[in-house]
Amino acid sequence: MVWDALQPVVTWLGDSAFGQWLGQSPARIAALFVVHLIGLTLLLGGTIVISLRLFGIGFRSGPGAQLAREVAPWRTAGLVLMLASGSLLFTGGAASYFEGQWFRRKMTLLLMALIFNLTWFRVVANAREGRFSPWQNRVTAGLALLLWFGVGVAGRAIAFF
Amino acid sequence: MPVVEWLHALEQTTIGALVRESAFPYVEGTHVLALSLSVGTVAWFDLRLLGATMRLRPVSEVFQSVKGWMFTGFGLMFLTGALLFAAHAREAYDNPYFRAKVALLLLAGVNTLVFHLTIDRRRADWDDAPVPPAAARVAGLLSLVLWLSVIAAGRIFAYDL
Repeated sequence: MVWDALQPVVTWLGDSAFGQWLGQSPARIAALFVVHLIGLTLLLGGTIVISLRLFGIGFRSGPGAQLAREVAPWRTAGLVLMLASGSLLFTGGAASYFEGQWFRRKMTLLLMALIFNLTWFRVVANAREGRFSPWQNRVTAGLALLLWFGVGVAGRAIAFF
Repeated sequence: MPVVEWLHALEQTTIGALVRESAFPYVEGTHVLALSLSVGTVAWFDLRLLGATMRLRPVSEVFQSVKGWMFTGFGLMFLTGALLFAAHAREAYDNPYFRAKVALLLLAGVNTLVFHLTIDRRRADWDDAPVPPAAARVAGLLSLVLWLSVIAAGRIFAYDL
């Protein structure tokens, strides 16, 4: 299994002086969670903005590709904040996170969401008007929302189940 | 009746006990993920007020596009927030971060009210301006800072509980 292959890296990361240092302080972990949530509002909020346009129910003036370009810097900033704070949170508790089923589900969904975002979603959101049918736009937006909210749901489940 | 007794009575209600004993992960998960709809959309309106995104789009279009989702998001936040409070009313009441969160929420509300009663009344004059007037930019910046502070106080409070 691919998870087993990652085990040595996870052990090394968790046992590292940096990982130990991060994990020791509840204040540091809480601060990282705050950054993680601020990233979430920008990333998911930005995904909602682009999706409203793809669904044809908002931000309808001007070309859709222009909206995607304008939203991109802030939305990408949200993604970067989430990935950076998430990686640090993981480093602060690597062994216990890695054991969890919901953590593994979250990482699987995250990988799917990232691939979808960098390929199909990117193409459709930046396409010239009329290149894709309204239904293709809607399905793309629906899948993007499903994947990113799926990552969020799995993330919350890590804390409880 | 003193506040403590009133809070205790709230915790003893059927709904308070239900959330505390079984529904907590779902109510809390909804509270966190509804951030994408509430703060996640209001942040884009604030960024538009600051002239930091969607400069070629009228401010009204941004507001009209997000308002339904924004109000739904804030409705969900207040509903799930009230349920979470009912589950742990006394602990929440005593927690300094919870008190800070409530104070910040009130400030965010006052900022929104002042915005609507002053500069927003003349929105027709600056609706198409790529960068809105200073008063609108101040309202946008305050809203952004206050909402992100609400998130921070809420997350630290949950961690502190």
